[in-house]
Amino acid sequence: MAKGSIPILRVGPNLLVTVHIDLHDVVAEAFQEDVLTELEKRRAPGLVIDISGLDIVDTYVARILSETGRMARLMGTETVVVGMRPDVAATLIRMGYTMEGVNTALNVDDGIETLASIAARRRTP
Amino acid sequence: MHPPAKLKLDDHELESRRRFFALGPDDLARLGALRPFAEEHTDGIIDAFYEMLLAHPETRKFFPDETTVRRVKKMQREYFLGIFGGVCDRAYAEHRARVGSTHEHIAMAPKWYLGAYRRYLELLHERLYAHFADPVEANLAYQSAQKLVYFDMSIAIDTYIAANLDALRRHQAAIRELSTPVIRVHDRVLLLPLVGTIDSGRAHQIMETVLTRVTDEQAKVIILDIAGVPVVDTKVAQHLLQTTAAVKLVGARTILTGISAQVARTIVQLGVDISAMDTVSRLQDGIELALAHVGKAITAKGA
Repeated sequence: MAKGSIPILRVGPNLLVTVHIDLHDVVAEAFQEDVLTELEKRRAPGLVIDISGLDIVDTYVARILSETGRMARLMGTETVVVGMRPDVAATLIRMGYTMEGVNTALNVDDGIETLASIAARRRTP
Repeated sequence: MHPPAKLKLDDHELESRRRFFALGPDDLARLGALRPFAEEHTDGIIDAFYEMLLAHPETRKFFPDETTVRRVKKMQREYFLGIFGGVCDRAYAEHRARVGSTHEHIAMAPKWYLGAYRRYLELLHERLYAHFADPVEANLAYQSAQKLVYFDMSIAIDTYIAANLDALRRHQAAIRELSTPVIRVHDRVLLLPLVGTIDSGRAHQIMETVLTRVTDEQAKVIILDIAGVPVVDTKVAQHLLQTTAAVKLVGARTILTGISAQVARTIVQLGVDISAMDTVSRLQDGIELALAHVGKAITAKGA
C-alpha cells in the first residue's frame, strides 16, 4: 500500500485518523510517518486514532500506535486511541501489552471529549 | 425441547466401530439373505417383545394406551427389519442414533433399553434355531445378528451420553451467565457484583463479559464489587488488574468496591500492587464516584 493511503481529517483543532485496513509492516510505518508529518504541519493539540475497524491488533501494531502517541506527545499533541474491540483488548492484555503513552476512549466523540478535558487541565495548572 | 445431541458418525468412525464389533460384509450379506425369514417372524417377535415390556410395571409406564402401543410396534417393525437390510452405512447408523435419542427423550433409562435388547436377542435365538435345520448355520446367523445389535446398542448408548453431556454444557453456560450479572446502574455506568470464588476460568469469563458489555453499552465506568468474593489471592488480584487494564484499552474505567478488611490485609501482605485500580470501600461510594465520571451527582432533596 502506498503512502498516504490512510486519510487524516481535521476535526476542530484536532486530527482524526480512521484506520480500517490492516496495519502491517510498510503500511504501519507509512501511517506513523504520515501522522507525524501532518502533526508537524498543523500543530494540532490532539490526535484521535479510531481503530474500531480493526479485527486484529497484534503487538507490532499496538507498539506502532503507542510509539506514535509518545512521539506525538513530544511534539505537544495528546493521542487518544478509540474503538478498540473487546477481543482485541483481551488479547493484548493477555500478551502483557498495555499501550503506554496513549489515552483511550470508547468512540470518536468520547475521544474528542477526552482531548478537551486534557486541554482544560493544561490551561489550569 | 432441544435438538438431539449430534453424534459424530462419519465413515471413519463407522468403519472403526464395525471393525471392533467384527461386523464384516459376510455378516451383512448373511443378514440380508435372512430378510424373508425376518418378514415372516416380525409380528411374532414384536408381539412377544412388547408382552415383556407391558408386563413389567416400570416399562409399562412408557406405553400408556393402545394407540401408543400400536405406534411403537410399527416403529419396532421398521427397526427389526432394518437388521436384515444387509447394509450398515451412514444412513443406517443415523437411523439407529435417532432411535437412541427418541428413547432418551422419553426418558427411558438405559437399563430398560439394554434389558429389552436381551429379550430381543432371546426371541431371535429361539426362532433362528427353529428355522435352520443345522445348528451351526443357526449359530452363524445368530452371531451376525448379535454383532449388528451390539453395534446398534453402542450407538444408542452414545446418544444417551451425548444428550447428557449436552445438557451439562447448557447448564454450565447458564451458570456462567448467572455468575457475571452485569447491571446497568445509570447511563453509561455498569455494575458487576461478584459473588463466590473466582478461578481462572471464571476470571476469563469475567473479563470477556465486562469488555463486551462495556463496548456494547458504551459504558464509561464499570464498578466491580467484590464484597461477595471470599478469598482474594495473588491470582485473583492479578485477574482483576488485567480486567482493569483491558477495560482501559477499550476506553472505559474500572472502580473496585467492597474490599473487606481481610481482603485488604491479604492484598498488602501478598505485596500485590493494585494502585492501577480506583478502589473505594463501599459500593455506595463507588456509585457516586462513577456518576462523577459521567458528570452526574446524587444530591439530597431540597438541599
